[in-house]
Amino acid sequence: MSSYLDRLIADPTSFHDAPYTQAFTLSREEIDRLHLEGARKRFAELRPGLSVLDKLAREQGIDAIKTIDDLAPLLFPHTVYKSYPISYLERSRFDKLTKWLAGLTTSDISHVDASGVETIDDWIDLLDAETDLTVQHTSGTTGKLSFVPRSKKQWRETIVHSGVIIRDWWPDRGPDIVKDGMPIIIPGYRYGAAAMQRGNGIQVDLYAKGEENTLFLYPNARFSADIASLGGRLRAAEARGEAGMVDIPPVLLERREALLELERRRPDDLKHFFSEAQRRFGGRDVYVTAMWAILYDWAEEGLKRGLKNVFGKGSVLLTGGGKKGKELPDDWRERVIEFLGFDTIYEMYATSEQMGLSMMCEHGHYHVPPIQIPFLLDPATGKPLPRKDGLTGRYASFDLMPNSYWAGLVTGDEITLAGWEKPCACGRTGPYVIPPVRRYSEQEGGDDRIVCAGAPEAHDRALEFLAELSM
Amino acid sequence: MTDPFRVPLIIRGQIIDDAEVDYGGRRGGVSFSVPDIAKHVARLPLRTPSAMADLYALSFDEILDFLVALGQRLDFGQNRHLQEAFRLSCQTSGLSESILRVHFQHIGAAFDRTEMRRMMERSCGVDYLEGWVDQGVGRFPGLTARTRAFGARTVHVIAGNAPIVSILTVIRNALTRSDAIIKLPSNDPLTAAALVRTMVEMDPDHPLSKHVSVAYWKGGDDQVESAIYDPRGVEKIVAWGGFDSVKHITRYLQPGIDLITQDPKLSGTIIGREAFADETTLVQVARRLALDIGAQNQEGCVSARVIYVECGTDEAGLERANRLGQMTFDALLRLPDHLSTPHKAFDGALKAEIDGIRLNDEDYRIFGGRTNEGAVIVSQEEYPVDFSRALACRVGNIVPIDSRETAVSAVNAYTQTIGIFPESLKDELRDRLAFQGAQRIVSLGGAATMQHNMERQDAIEPVRRMLKWVTEEQASGEMLAALAG
Repeated sequence: MSSYLDRLIADPTSFHDAPYTQAFTLSREEIDRLHLEGARKRFAELRPGLSVLDKLAREQGIDAIKTIDDLAPLLFPHTVYKSYPISYLERSRFDKLTKWLAGLTTSDISHVDASGVETIDDWIDLLDAETDLTVQHTSGTTGKLSFVPRSKKQWRETIVHSGVIIRDWWPDRGPDIVKDGMPIIIPGYRYGAAAMQRGNGIQVDLYAKGEENTLFLYPNARFSADIASLGGRLRAAEARGEAGMVDIPPVLLERREALLELERRRPDDLKHFFSEAQRRFGGRDVYVTAMWAILYDWAEEGLKRGLKNVFGKGSVLLTGGGKKGKELPDDWRERVIEFLGFDTIYEMYATSEQMGLSMMCEHGHYHVPPIQIPFLLDPATGKPLPRKDGLTGRYASFDLMPNSYWAGLVTGDEITLAGWEKPCACGRTGPYVIPPVRRYSEQEGGDDRIVCAGAPEAHDRALEFLAELSM
Repeated sequence: MTDPFRVPLIIRGQIIDDAEVDYGGRRGGVSFSVPDIAKHVARLPLRTPSAMADLYALSFDEILDFLVALGQRLDFGQNRHLQEAFRLSCQTSGLSESILRVHFQHIGAAFDRTEMRRMMERSCGVDYLEGWVDQGVGRFPGLTARTRAFGARTVHVIAGNAPIVSILTVIRNALTRSDAIIKLPSNDPLTAAALVRTMVEMDPDHPLSKHVSVAYWKGGDDQVESAIYDPRGVEKIVAWGGFDSVKHITRYLQPGIDLITQDPKLSGTIIGREAFADETTLVQVARRLALDIGAQNQEGCVSARVIYVECGTDEAGLERANRLGQMTFDALLRLPDHLSTPHKAFDGALKAEIDGIRLNDEDYRIFGGRTNEGAVIVSQEEYPVDFSRALACRVGNIVPIDSRETAVSAVNAYTQTIGIFPESLKDELRDRLAFQGAQRIVSLGGAATMQHNMERQDAIEPVRRMLKWVTEEQASGEMLAALAG
């Protein structure tokens, strides 16, 4: 046992391919030790190279981590990875965006000349080509994209890590997908830099062992960061009135054409996707991954076409993300399973900025791996709550695996944590999250309060706007 | 835990206070109980328009008499309904107790006879309320016309961010001889109820008491709303604030229902280069700007959020902007607590945004914002922060600009009030700001501390629009008969 723990303390990143079952046999003392020594190591190693972390540490007056609670004030608010002004994107100031990103990673990207770049997609491609980063962006539901400076090496480790989880999480059920390979089915885009697409290339490589063994809804299309950010940029422009009325850059207009083309072809693509799924992979054991909301749409579409139990019983599904604010019927899970035809499901609670995943056990709890340091913060003061079972607060956590950027974040989620004192009924040790996960932002507004200060918030106006342009 | 609050249902002079249904109480929020409105909803709308006649037996002066007497009974020291409303507001409102106390102490003063008459003179003319006013000559020889303004059967969906909304609703309804159903908001369900309850205690059978009702139901309750928003019983809806609340009311709009909205708005500031003329001027500007941001804890649509400052954007200009930021923040902390205090429920999402950009001093300089004390964020380029629409809880954003033109073109239809320094700049810009969409242009410092022309809020005339303008015409019988050939 101790050699397993010693290895993690010496190199927390090695957790990515360590046997996953063992992670949940550690004692409370061992977990505490890993947390404290890991936090000290990361803080000491990363502070000199991360100007943003250094600034925060100086702000908070913290020079050393004596107890684990000293780490709490050093966790980034989740807004840090999107703390650039959106005007950088509007004015194509990608040189400035590069400089901003440089403060968040220890990778040297100072040699990158992004002054001629006009779109986010091109900027991300440039960083791909000239640095060791594989920058990931969030999908921008708030209209503003976060950019996470994960390295190429870390991305590969992340995909290997998912494979280990699939193999080990459900004893005797999980396939060794990296060793034996498996076809990949994804009801989405093949290309793109958002969380859902970023790992596709490596998954094709490591899991499917080649493109011919994959099926994507949009096999040739890219999920564009520029389109994803358009809504936020329009909102920012709107807030500045006439001053914000800018000509939409021609590059985006071209993208618009491609996007509208994609929309037009959607029915055909869907048809093709279903028939290929049947023809090439029907009844076979496959690996499927997508967020619940997307899976549900896909399943409904399939059930409408009379498709049921499409894939083999030995198939696996990696999913998460809750309902994403969608209205789903009560039996939505059953509908998805009825369509897919298998029930080995790996459901995760995770955040884009971290490599580790918290997987759901048979009792419906998300187990935080020992390599992640979970905190509950008092929503009013931000102070860490004690490590006691059953307390509820704002979730924050630090992932020890990433070693070139600061993976410590305060989320906008309200959760309940247990497992510190008494392990979960499933037998796994260590802290776990008890659903439901609720967003603080959903609770703060609403409920029939009426104030008269505010401005209409367009929902997702980007597509609407694009459609208007094409008239 | 204090006793749960009871919110009455008051229908045309009858008080129902049997507290059958509980609301609220989420996340340590306040809970209150109300009668089950489903049992009574059919009685809320006035289905017989002829029942409006009793209001017309009263003269304008008699209506004023009643309102003045009501104002005297709205003495905060004596009136227990107001005290209860205050106690609840202290928990639900974004305003602190010290600010709310001033609001509640001044409720009675709002029923000032001279001011109420002036308000009606300005917004529709008392002669139109009192009788048929001759309209002068028209196109056709011998055709004459007279117009009179009549009250309407109206539902008021009011905002709960300050008691003034309840006060204005009650006064306007009485003076226009209208019939009101007031839908109470969850963040202030008791103030309007306290006013109406006091009216009922004065005289339950008085026409003015019989033509106002208050009710709480959860906005969006289709069973209740489809019964109320029906053109057979309601002619107009006055809806305050809340994009979502207004949006969902539009579901019930149909021919026969007129919607008057006091939309959600944001306000701002323009400060000309004259502010930097000398130290004395700058000190005064900072203090007045602190008022526009901080008064009423920035809870109002009139409160300043983005502040355009004509200081230049070169290094010297940014230094001027940052200095004004520091001075404004210092002045914000010194505001008297009957006007402004640290916000007792600082918006967590806003705090996360401030914490995020705090680590980016290339683009932003932040004064304050550590806990709930408020903040002045100074942009280091000509752009407001990306979360400018979410600025609240005494957080302002100074944006340095090279030319006032940038500030003018940033104004749009969601801009309610603009505070301006100096006065000459106000005179220079007011027409252009009006084209852009601005609705109220004031001396810096006056945005949330004084208001002259409440009946023209948002550049619409809600009082005028609450009325029905009925015309009676007369032509010669011979001439009309001759038209028949």
